[in-house]
Amino acid sequence: MFQDKHETYVSDDGLVSRQIFFDPDIYRKELEKVYAKVWLFMGHESQVPNAGDYFTNYMGEDPVIVWRDRSGKVRVFLNSCRHRGMRICRTDIGNAKQFTCPFHGWSYSSEGDLVGVPFLEDAYFNDLDREQWALYEIPKVQSYGGLIFANMDPYSISLNDFLGELRWYLDIFLSRALGEIQVLPGRQRYSCKTNWKIASENFAGDTYHLPYSHGSLFRVDAPVLNPVSYMHSPNLYSVTTEHGHGLCGVSVAGERFEADIELAKELGPEALDYVEETQRRLEERLSTDQAKVYTLAFGNIFPNFSLNNFSALRPYGFYLWHPKGPDGIEAWQWSAVDSEAPQAIKEICRAQFQRQQAAAGIAGQDDTENFEQVTEATRGVVGQSLVFNYQMGLGHEKAIKPPKNLPGTVGPYYSEQGQRNYYNYWANLMDFAPMPEATKTNGKGNNHAVAAAPGMKSSKRATRGTRV
Amino acid sequence: MTARDLLYEVEQFLFREARILDEARYDDWLRLLENDIRYWAPVRETSDNRETDVRDITEMALFDDDLDFLKARVQRLHSGLAHAETPISRTRRMLSNIEIEKSSKTLVTVFCNFLIYQTRLERTEAMYVGRREDILKRAGKSWRIKNRKIFLDQTLLPRTISILL
Repeated sequence: MFQDKHETYVSDDGLVSRQIFFDPDIYRKELEKVYAKVWLFMGHESQVPNAGDYFTNYMGEDPVIVWRDRSGKVRVFLNSCRHRGMRICRTDIGNAKQFTCPFHGWSYSSEGDLVGVPFLEDAYFNDLDREQWALYEIPKVQSYGGLIFANMDPYSISLNDFLGELRWYLDIFLSRALGEIQVLPGRQRYSCKTNWKIASENFAGDTYHLPYSHGSLFRVDAPVLNPVSYMHSPNLYSVTTEHGHGLCGVSVAGERFEADIELAKELGPEALDYVEETQRRLEERLSTDQAKVYTLAFGNIFPNFSLNNFSALRPYGFYLWHPKGPDGIEAWQWSAVDSEAPQAIKEICRAQFQRQQAAAGIAGQDDTENFEQVTEATRGVVGQSLVFNYQMGLGHEKAIKPPKNLPGTVGPYYSEQGQRNYYNYWANLMDFAPMPEATKTNGKGNNHAVAAAPGMKSSKRATRGTRV
Repeated sequence: MTARDLLYEVEQFLFREARILDEARYDDWLRLLENDIRYWAPVRETSDNRETDVRDITEMALFDDDLDFLKARVQRLHSGLAHAETPISRTRRMLSNIEIEKSSKTLVTVFCNFLIYQTRLERTEAMYVGRREDILKRAGKSWRIKNRKIFLDQTLLPRTISILL
């Protein structure tokens, strides 16, 4: 239980209490302080092209409907009748002019208006303020390059400000397409018995797991995979930005573009033309530095929206790690392609998505095995009293010379700065600890913050045991 | 051959194939596949239009593999680094409602329902339930799988799928 707003679960030298992955009070607080306060990814505009189109999603544990109204505006509503709470939309996708609650028959329009109340006269004596009982609308909905986000907090900062310096990288991801980014119909969904942070931090900063967790990818003859992009190279970097966002494997020397050219040569002239055209498009639309970065590899937009795109010949992957209790998640994922890509490349992208970081993909399943067994192996009393170590790279920031002109904090490829940035922002939202300055990096000998914290009673022992 | 004989033969083939997968004899399983096999399992979503409940063959799927990638999956399982299947899961495939939809001299289209139970390690468990449409091709005294469509009934999968269906 958290008793004290100054309690520290996240130290400024890269140690994190394991309690935050189990404690039901912390979980409850997360739903309030994280999920009801920050911008959450809902989907892509291409999923609701026409008036009336909708799909369902979640904000924390609150079910929502993402619905394009008659005027073309995308709105997000709680998927729950204002009368007695029944789920008004029980399908995943479709098109509707209105939803009628199956319980007592209240009807709502795509503007959220309560347009129908059965027996308004006989049952309510015409005495019901229908405006007051309109569908609960999520106060803020904004898009960035077609990516729809929603925010429960009417006083939150704008989506642009929340994304901050990450936008420089997102623009690359979003501008390279010759046509529109088009989400493929069909979402994959699976359960995993772990905490939502374990899954999302993996995309925020965990380059280190790639060679071993996904070692099997290097052992198969499957050209559709692109393991080269997983490998360490002196020109790949980790990037973190304000508000807990993190990117992994950002390339600065144009090597991802060069790798695409090599891959395209094998695929034929159509692929080669396409890759060259995407690069020209980037140079037209963005800066030279951005064109060189070419794509963003993988990352996480805080709190639970992960995304990847390794190449113009590879899919866009969008992943949501929905919290379902302290030790459960539902992973929801979509893939997207460039609408103007040659058909053969769209097919390659779809196949690659399904085969790699997906429900039956050969990378995703090893991740979930790790996530579940981390949860199983740390749920005990002693297990929870220890800390996770995210100290990789701390105190060695000067070991590399980060390239200039890259926004955010740029660190080496193998680094846990992404997780540190993620948990620092998390702790800040949770009022658990003051946010350390972004530049404060040398945490050596500064472990007292954790050792003294009531939430981490055993961390002294843990630290002694784990530090060498 | 009578219809009953054909059904018996096809049933025995499918049961044997299920046992080979339960026994994790993946190389033996690969030998039951035609070179041009398409192994496809669509994503399921609950839609207001029942026809779009199953995504089209060009849309998002769980599996859409050719023989090369099925071989790659098996190669991975042998790699010692397939953590999700190390040690391998215990699985039990139950097939029922086997029906021959149509047949020619060399091809049969066969429908069945399946229930697959998977357990691994201490308490990891999953159940996969659905129906299959297989096209089998005559290969001497036996058959090979030319096409497999796997329609899982679940929209939300119990976990990532680390086994073959």
